[in-house]
Amino acid sequence: MSELDARGLPPPEPFEKIMHALSSLPPDAALRVLIHREPYPLYAELQGMGYAWQTSALPDGHFAILIERAK
Amino acid sequence: MSTASLSTEQAPPISVPLRFFAVAPLFLILAALTGLMSDRLADAHTPALLAATHCITLGFIGMIMFGAMQQILPVVIGSPMPSSRLVAWSSLLPLIFGTLTLSGGFLLSNADLLHLASILLGLAFLIFIVASLVSLARAAARNATATAILLSVLALTAAVTLGIVLAQGYAGGWQLDYPKLAAAHISLALGGWVMLLIVGVSYQVVPMFQLTPSYPEWLSAGLAPALFAALLLNLASSYFDVLPLGFFAEGLFWLCAVCFALVTLKLQFQRRRRVTDATLNFFRLGMISLLCAASCAATALLAPAHEYFRQLSIVIFILGFALSVIHGMLYKIIPFLVWFHLFRGGVKKGVPNMKEVIPEPWMWRHLWLHIVTLLAAMLAFFWDAAAWLLILGLSLQGVLLSFAILTGIQVYRRTRQRLEKV
Repeated sequence: MSELDARGLPPPEPFEKIMHALSSLPPDAALRVLIHREPYPLYAELQGMGYAWQTSALPDGHFAILIERAK
Repeated sequence: MSTASLSTEQAPPISVPLRFFAVAPLFLILAALTGLMSDRLADAHTPALLAATHCITLGFIGMIMFGAMQQILPVVIGSPMPSSRLVAWSSLLPLIFGTLTLSGGFLLSNADLLHLASILLGLAFLIFIVASLVSLARAAARNATATAILLSVLALTAAVTLGIVLAQGYAGGWQLDYPKLAAAHISLALGGWVMLLIVGVSYQVVPMFQLTPSYPEWLSAGLAPALFAALLLNLASSYFDVLPLGFFAEGLFWLCAVCFALVTLKLQFQRRRRVTDATLNFFRLGMISLLCAASCAATALLAPAHEYFRQLSIVIFILGFALSVIHGMLYKIIPFLVWFHLFRGGVKKGVPNMKEVIPEPWMWRHLWLHIVTLLAAMLAFFWDAAAWLLILGLSLQGVLLSFAILTGIQVYRRTRQRLEKV
């Protein structure tokens, strides 16, 4: 599983980095993103691109998002 | 907590917020032209200044906030307004014509125009308030921002109701306690709607765009409810004529405002990337202005004989605090929107980065012009000639902001056409 740490980056860098990471992600692989806030606009994009995601709130206030191809 | 799915379309089309942003600066120019018809700027109750003030508060601040809320709600609380295009058109047009007829009604002392303005503005705000409440009710996030926005919308509802009563009263010659109602209207519109909205949005926008630490929990949890409670206490004191309660309520409000300004300045000082840009300085100017507005309000509270300090506080609040923060946010939001709507749907080559959308030197020029305009507005209380500088400054700001926003729209259109050809 690939991991991307987007914590502390200014907009639009987290969104940009996630899109770049997804463009090179093998079809059956998953991407785990660490981010400092819940990226609501990203979800609509993921849905439109055929990805499923699972967001978990971390104890330190950050979020972990697991992204993979929708089955 | 986990989230597996959300509504299919989070962000409204780019045209929704941009049409509000494109119209708003024209009202700054109109406010300046209307101000030309006033003899003295120190008296806010002349028809021309009432018209000019409403061009700024409704035509500019209200217009920007209508557009910004459409964009900000899905990003910060994960819930867009329903039927965004329909809500945009059906609130934009009555807001434009309502502001024009209200200003015309004040200028010409025309009862028909004031009646028409009440209907148009009532409609615009009704649509906006209902759409905002629906969005808030559906929100995935229940956080301090959602609470502050909800309280700001409630304050707006009361402010609009009082505004309509006042306009109808003027038009129909009703016997009302105008000074008391006008004071409540101003306090709810500026201290409620504008202040609470800026507070709520800042909790998200300041850490997100300026890379500061988050607002401390004690502040984000307690500030908006405390500000709202202060406004309610102020209304109660005015209604029941209990002066000490009013003194306490006003003191509490400004104490909260000072806390917000100082904490924001401290967070900006602690930002992770030490790069200074014009938008950060617009925000800083806004916070310093809020401190100045609080000082003037405190002086007026302790020395009621100096009534002009109260008016000075309102002027600094509107031009120094609200306008500075709005300009700062616009110069971040517009480039972000242009970038986001071009980039979405997958990685593309040839999408300009955010810094290429509106030239940074224009933002700095606008910042300096805004500072001169603000100083002129403060001087105009004591020196009539400064009013000319204020009028000139406001008109130039309208022109500069129009140019910046139209540049952003043009960059979006040109890049979009190029990407479609590829």
